[in-house]
Amino acid sequence: MTEKLIVKNLVKEYDGEQVLKSLSFVVKEGEFLSVLGPSGCGKTTLLRILIGLESQTAGEILLDGKDISKLPASQRGMGIIFQNYALFPNMTVLENVEYALKIKPETKADSRKRAERTLDMIGMSDQLNKKPHHLSGGQQQRVAIARTLALNPSIVLLDEPISALDVENKEIMKRELKDIQKKFHSTMIYITHDQEEAFFLSDRIMVMSNGTIEQLDSPLEIYNSPANEYIRTFVVNHLNQKFDSLSKCIGRL
Amino acid sequence: MKNRTFQSLKLFIGIFLILHVLCPIIALATHISYGDISEVLSSAQFAPMLWNSFLSSLVTTIVSVSIALLLAWCVNRSNIRHKGVWSVIFTLPMLIPSISHGMGLTLLFGDNGFFTNLTGINIHLYGLTGIVIGATLYSCPMAFLMLTDIFQYEDFTVYEMADVLGLSKKQQLKAITLSNLKKPLISAFFAVFTVVFTDYGVPLIVGGKMMTLPVYMYREVIGLLDYSKGGIIGVILLIPAVIAFIIDLLNKDNGTNSTITKPYVIGKNRKRDIFSRVVCVVTLVLISLPIITFVILSFVKQYPVDFSFTFDNITESLDLGIGGYLLNSLFIGLTTALAGTLITYYAAFVTARSGKNFSSMAIHLISLVSLSFPGIVLGLSYVLFFQGSFVYGTIAILITVNITHFFASPYLLAYNSLSKFNSNLEDVAYSLGISKMKMLVDVYMPCTRGTILEMFSYIFVNCMVTISAISFLANFRNMPLALLIPQFDSQSLIEPIAFISIIILLVNVIAKGVIYFLKMYFARKEN
Repeated sequence: MTEKLIVKNLVKEYDGEQVLKSLSFVVKEGEFLSVLGPSGCGKTTLLRILIGLESQTAGEILLDGKDISKLPASQRGMGIIFQNYALFPNMTVLENVEYALKIKPETKADSRKRAERTLDMIGMSDQLNKKPHHLSGGQQQRVAIARTLALNPSIVLLDEPISALDVENKEIMKRELKDIQKKFHSTMIYITHDQEEAFFLSDRIMVMSNGTIEQLDSPLEIYNSPANEYIRTFVVNHLNQKFDSLSKCIGRL
Repeated sequence: MKNRTFQSLKLFIGIFLILHVLCPIIALATHISYGDISEVLSSAQFAPMLWNSFLSSLVTTIVSVSIALLLAWCVNRSNIRHKGVWSVIFTLPMLIPSISHGMGLTLLFGDNGFFTNLTGINIHLYGLTGIVIGATLYSCPMAFLMLTDIFQYEDFTVYEMADVLGLSKKQQLKAITLSNLKKPLISAFFAVFTVVFTDYGVPLIVGGKMMTLPVYMYREVIGLLDYSKGGIIGVILLIPAVIAFIIDLLNKDNGTNSTITKPYVIGKNRKRDIFSRVVCVVTLVLISLPIITFVILSFVKQYPVDFSFTFDNITESLDLGIGGYLLNSLFIGLTTALAGTLITYYAAFVTARSGKNFSSMAIHLISLVSLSFPGIVLGLSYVLFFQGSFVYGTIAILITVNITHFFASPYLLAYNSLSKFNSNLEDVAYSLGISKMKMLVDVYMPCTRGTILEMFSYIFVNCMVTISAISFLANFRNMPLALLIPQFDSQSLIEPIAFISIIILLVNVIAKGVIYFLKMYFARKEN
């Protein structure tokens, strides 16, 4: 796999305080990378800098070998998906997806077809003319995903996209996200505080705390050989407790 | 490239506010001569005038807010039918100029009034009584709207919780209802006080010997062209407005109870419903009396002597050129509403949806500050600042002074509804390469059509009834209809005044009706 995104010595300071302390990592083409950490660890700041909504204090970001550190968000070709969907409330499902396609000269001509095809691949083709407030949370998130993927982004950034859903829909969406990633062959960076989500979805997990990377490895690697005490408590022990309580439940049955 | 449009429009808003709010006020402050200050303040009239203004405003405020509270409670906390209709009726007095209320009272209860002649009872209208009744008529609807809003957004789960905890109805009233109402009541109190304190329309007509500060200021400026003395009174009139502004800022709810989980459920209570119905009907009669009088006066031969039907008064009024002044009014009203809605909406878009930075916070603050300038003070400031410039004496300055005068309320309407949108919409748009201006036109404006119509209607209706900010700026060619009333009053032309009041009411009712149907149409289209 080739290197899609290279981040070198990324630093972010707010009022003299470092919230990101010289991060360096690589995301491979087609990879699903989770950024896992508790709230306040800097994961959302990292995401906002990657997509260009905020600027870094120091460091470089290379996308496909090109330096994009200073490019505005609209020229980075990345897509973003938020926890609260952020759909355009006055537009139908189809219009939401079509809207951005229509603006860009290169996709303007077949915007309708492209929007319909994307929505079809994501399983929303029977809801095309509904307004967002008539959809369930899971359906709204699917539209948001279609809106992003229709533009063929080089990387998709997801900021806790399923944490607003109820337990049942969370499970469904988790599985669908994996399917969607395969279908669209996209590179995804997934921000989450949930250990299980990260372990279920990811090719690799980047565990963060206090603005530093604690460990960047495959789920199995992290579980089997945690790099330090922090990983052991925050990730491994947490998962073990889950297993324990689950097996106790099953035992009682 | 696309963001340049956004930035230049933001700059335009900033310059507009500096030029039309800050500069005139500075001009007012610098225009006062210090010799006049001591002369005005030490004159024998001053202390009684100040006392008259204070007393009449205080009494009116207490009466007006109490009635408004009662009406808001009747409409929102009982099971009477046609609540929407009642709400509209109770706000009707807002649709005619304050000065018309004074005239209506004279016609009914004056020394030669209809009621006085009929019953032989003279209530000695001229003075405190007249001012209080007249000012209550036009200020009560304002307080009613403010309090209705609070009643409608009360969370019922709190009451259910109180029931579970075993609190008596009395305890609930004290612990929940009154504590919810405390802040809005304070806001309503200061809003009404400020408006009454600075109005000259009612006391000019029914004040009698009770001279108040705004009437004095009006006469000083219109009659004697003494800007310096007028300015001193203007600064004094600003004081309660500034106090009200500061208290309102401190009094702001921080949105803690902005989300209601369950609307209030009104239980069965026959006595309460009958009581509410009686209150509503009595209010309806009181509100419609002056309006009916205006209609009668417009169509009878010689009020109150000969009640036979005639069109003479109408033709006489039209001979006085009322048609042309109505066109002035409509032109000023529509242009102000259009430009005012655009500017205030855009100002709100800048402050509500472009992050917190210095320039948008400054725009937000100046927009709110404009709320505290009484029209009459703003008008004089404009005279002092724009005198000698090319806009002075044109209809354009009437439009700009009205935009400024009515800036804050539509701005707040837009600010509140634009703030409610998903906070990530800008981020998504930015990453999709959609410009801010495009978002404004394609997403925000279509989603807030109702608010935009509401803003338009607010500005239009207020332009039709206002006689304050424009009074020193208009001339006989460009003046709007409402300004004819004080002029006709000084010539004792009563019938045309009645006719004008009816026309203004009619225009405003039609405008409100059209806005209502447009809102319904868009709401239906939405779903």
